[in-house]
Amino acid sequence: MIIVKDLHKKFDDNHVLRGVNYHVHQGEKIVVIGPSGSGKSTFLRCLNLLETPTSGEIWFDGQLITDPKVNIDKVREHMGMVFQNFNLFNNLSIMDNITLAPVKLKLMEKDEAKEKALSLLERVGLKEKADSYPSQLSGGQKQRIAIVRSLAMNPRVMLFDEPTSALDPEMVGEVLDVMKELAESGMTMIVVTHEMGFAREVGTKVLFMDEGVIMEENTPAEFFNNPKSQRLQDFLSKVL
Amino acid sequence: MQAWFERVSELFQIAFVSGDRWKLYISGLGTTLEIAFLAAILGLIIGTIVALMKLSTNRRGKKSIWARIANVYIDLIRGTPSVLQLLIMWFIIMKSCKNGVLVAVLSFGINSGAYVAEIVRAGILAVDKGQTEAGRSLGLSKTQTMIYIILPQAIKNVLPPIGNEFIVLLKETAIVGYVSLTDLTRTASQISSRTYEAFMPLIGAAVIYFVIIKILTVLLDKLERRLRKSDNR
Repeated sequence: MIIVKDLHKKFDDNHVLRGVNYHVHQGEKIVVIGPSGSGKSTFLRCLNLLETPTSGEIWFDGQLITDPKVNIDKVREHMGMVFQNFNLFNNLSIMDNITLAPVKLKLMEKDEAKEKALSLLERVGLKEKADSYPSQLSGGQKQRIAIVRSLAMNPRVMLFDEPTSALDPEMVGEVLDVMKELAESGMTMIVVTHEMGFAREVGTKVLFMDEGVIMEENTPAEFFNNPKSQRLQDFLSKVL
Repeated sequence: MQAWFERVSELFQIAFVSGDRWKLYISGLGTTLEIAFLAAILGLIIGTIVALMKLSTNRRGKKSIWARIANVYIDLIRGTPSVLQLLIMWFIIMKSCKNGVLVAVLSFGINSGAYVAEIVRAGILAVDKGQTEAGRSLGLSKTQTMIYIILPQAIKNVLPPIGNEFIVLLKETAIVGYVSLTDLTRTASQISSRTYEAFMPLIGAAVIYFVIIKILTVLLDKLERRLRKSDNR
């Protein structure tokens, strides 16, 4: 579904990604972990071209999206993204946050989008917040809304960039629950996170990134119980 | 005391009442407000367009050709006195145009646009980058993200400095006397030279400017408070 070939990204002199290769299949839940500065967020942001790769190829559903001629807006319609800082639109109500993109991109009629938004809001238990504004919500509520906003586009894959890192500890659970439910529904997901429990429980594959490359890749059980590289063993001993 | 009071009342008569002179102030004020209002709108339009030009990037994320043009415009306007710009507009560029108000509106509008452009640019840059990223990640284009998400939030940021700019602009129109337009300041100075009494006309004009700007300030405050309220709904 997503094929990444020899991906490099440089910010001026800072060589963040140094040749990433990976193949994500339909329905997989890929969890990416690694120390800060390892390039895992940059890798994720390259997948929907929020960062333009310096070199390398990214294929999405058989289309080479790193080709400058591709209409990236069209590609992004099918790739949902959830951010660490939620990034709900502060000037819009929750309902408008969710329906803005599907309506403006002419994917749905206004009524249809509203109906869809309400049923998604119900799924995450926030139906009564439809007319609220982002500033009135807690962090956990904001993040659940952000997930709903992405889902309203009917994406084929969901990218999560440290979705629980900016939350108070007591709110992490409610967001992870929504993500687990989403995983069970069969969504293809790529998740950058520090939540090892989530990686172990939900991931189909866990990747360890360090110094701009994927150092180790394995099923959760093998990954956590049998880490091969010394670097991963050190990392796990610090975080577990 | 009696004599002093009579003297003041006489001066007041000379400056405002005899020969229906108050009508001249009103007509002068009308010219001032007309030029300031139209120039402010023109400045706002030019400023917003130029700000967007200046923020535009090309494919590789470098300054676009539009950004370079915007920079030249801002440099030229900010680098020369506005009186000189007005004179150049009147005596050179629009030499054949006999409509002085139109020339003044164009000149002040173009001048104000350069300052407004920097204000609007700052307002846009002050909106969190995550808002743009969220919009783009949903498949909205650059333009759609700007219109529906960024500009509505930028307006709140720019209101105080824009109000400042309007006030400066209103007072700056006092220089249109240079191109023989009769605004409020020119009226006051004409009347003082005709009556050989400077005190009442000049102080009177100052009071009128002050009151107009005070009203403008109150209105801007109200608008700002209303926009802020929508933030915490």
